[in-house]
Amino acid sequence: MINRRNFLTTVAIGTASAAALAACGTGSSTTAGETGSAESPVTINYTWWGNDDRATRTRKAIELFEAKNKDIKVNGNFTDFAGYWQKRATEAAGGGLPDVMQWDLSYLRDYGQRNQLLDLSTVKINTDAFEKSLLPSGQIKGKTYGIPTSTNAFAVYYNPEKLASLGIAEPDGSWNYKEFNAFLTEVGAKGNGALFGGTDYTGVWWMFNVWLRQNNIEAFTEDGKLGFTKDDLKKWWNLNSDLRGTPALISEERATQLAPKSPFGSNVTATEVTWDNFMAGYLADSGAKELKLVPVPSDDKDNLGLFLKPSMLMVASAKTKYKDAAARFIDFMVNDPEVGQIFKTSRGVPASKTQRDGTTFEGTDKLVVDYEKSIEKYLKDAPEPPIVGFGTLEASFKRISSDLNFGKVTVDGAADAWFKEAEDLIKQNA
Amino acid sequence: MTTMATPTKPVPDIEQAQYNPKSESVTAKRVKSGIFHAVALALTAVVLYPALWMIASSFKPNAEIGGANTSLWSENFSMDNFVTAMDGIGGVSTLTFFTNSLILAIGSVVGTILSASVSAYAFARIKFPGRSIFFGMMIATLLLPFHVVIIPQYIIFNQLGLVDTYVPLLIGKFLAGDAFFVFLMVQFMRNLPAELDEAARIDGAGHVRIFTAIMLPLMKPALISTSIFSFIWSWNDFLGPLLYLNTPDKYPLPLALRLFVDQTQSSDYGAMIAMSVLALLPVLVFFLVFQRYIVEGVSTQGLKG
Repeated sequence: MINRRNFLTTVAIGTASAAALAACGTGSSTTAGETGSAESPVTINYTWWGNDDRATRTRKAIELFEAKNKDIKVNGNFTDFAGYWQKRATEAAGGGLPDVMQWDLSYLRDYGQRNQLLDLSTVKINTDAFEKSLLPSGQIKGKTYGIPTSTNAFAVYYNPEKLASLGIAEPDGSWNYKEFNAFLTEVGAKGNGALFGGTDYTGVWWMFNVWLRQNNIEAFTEDGKLGFTKDDLKKWWNLNSDLRGTPALISEERATQLAPKSPFGSNVTATEVTWDNFMAGYLADSGAKELKLVPVPSDDKDNLGLFLKPSMLMVASAKTKYKDAAARFIDFMVNDPEVGQIFKTSRGVPASKTQRDGTTFEGTDKLVVDYEKSIEKYLKDAPEPPIVGFGTLEASFKRISSDLNFGKVTVDGAADAWFKEAEDLIKQNA
Repeated sequence: MTTMATPTKPVPDIEQAQYNPKSESVTAKRVKSGIFHAVALALTAVVLYPALWMIASSFKPNAEIGGANTSLWSENFSMDNFVTAMDGIGGVSTLTFFTNSLILAIGSVVGTILSASVSAYAFARIKFPGRSIFFGMMIATLLLPFHVVIIPQYIIFNQLGLVDTYVPLLIGKFLAGDAFFVFLMVQFMRNLPAELDEAARIDGAGHVRIFTAIMLPLMKPALISTSIFSFIWSWNDFLGPLLYLNTPDKYPLPLALRLFVDQTQSSDYGAMIAMSVLALLPVLVFFLVFQRYIVEGVSTQGLKG
């Protein structure tokens, strides 16, 4: 499956560059693009990934937009996440990308560099209500390709009910790695095989990224190279090496049996280290009444290495004929308080302050928003959009660290293996 | 499960029977047949278990599907998943997805039958210049992976303004684009005695008459296997509709099924499984109705040529 997709992307890139060359010959269009009127509205295409719930919410938002903007009609369509990128790769190669698209950070640089996306700084979108530290994550080499709709941050989830049943006190999130490991060990020991401490957090790329930042290291340099050394990676994988193979961490074997559900969603682990917007999914999978969030461990009390990442962005096609309409729709989707009221935190916590303040959060939504508020003083700049091929790197990070968890390789061997893959990939895409 | 295969009768019975097959007693025969059936049943159970799991899970609440839940049946039996599944997605009713799938599947069957049989007749019975070259080229398209042609095809259909219609998905079927079926029918026709054509020709029949009155009726097994395969392939096709259809109102079932599972949000496995069960029904009915022909079809022309 992965090979097939890679192949598709490769073909797409080849054809896209040919198409881009061909496009150079034709004249450029006007800056605003074609505009419509109430009598003869223009129609823009908007596409997103997601489930039934998102489709319903998005339809509501589109209706609201059309009611407020009589000169624009929005034709919405959606697919699942995996299919979404297959479809975009083909469309990009065939010159048929929709006017406005929901976007994922890991694909931004790829499409942006291939000139498939519109530079949104050339159109009118209000970004006054955005955190200044967040916007660079949608920018590449001075061009704004994406506007974040919403943010997420890294957190430690725990299941209070499970902890209470073992007689373990709830954590408050002010812990270093040693204390965190001790906590996982205690849960695993008392869990008696039915409940593990957590999944191996050193297999999560973004947690590694957070840890690097706690040590004032950036994962990638500005020119797209690795910003850390093999020794950093070894140090990271050694952080919990004495926990592997004990009930503190769920074995890779057991975790695979539970797939596609996560161990935490299956009620087999008491904690999980991941993005804060996974809350709704975990609640639905586990059937738990309540799950809570606390900050990640750090050995430096004043530097948690945390940052807000756009959980999703809005982009426009470079070839859209309706730049003005596309810009107005993006502006509406990211800024309008009523849109915030429709989506709540299902896209992540609204990135624009106007939208965030205009939304009332209750229950689970409130937990996530409150969490992001509680870590506000620790937040640093969002990282730059990940390098091309980041998805592959992230996957191999996960794969190699599961080999580590299986006990198939040593930490040194794992670090060597990952570095070789990463350097090959970076060379390939350079 | 495998314990079902344990023979109920003592083993020596069979051994005796094996030593002297001619004087095989009635009991020995029964034992043999009993063992055979027990083993067959056990294998069937293993093969059918995933299907059973799917059906059982379609009645479970979402939180009890997969993960650490290993029991087949749930105490919280409910039809909720089917209700959710029939609700549709994003304002499009599930019935629409079914209708779209049916239109595509029936269109594929009709198109393939019409075009492949005519093309096969030309290759098998008409001697025209370059026949073997064209036949070779047709076979060559079988070797061309679908993924190689995706993007060129998309560009063509996009420039013709045919994206978001069923034309890109069906036109190939009406133009004998499925080389496999043409090949299958050519091989079948080559095995029909040429004397039949000659006799018809002496009686004054042309190609049209020979094709419709002689060939088509004789090709029934090949036509039926073609229908079954093209129906099932079209019914299960995901990539084609994904690339060419944009409006959710035009989506067939495989696209809709994926929308229940979204790892970036919450996944409704229950509804997806319930819809899978429903989506399987038409294929199952189609297969059951034509099943005896498929066996006949495979046995009459399967490995020849």
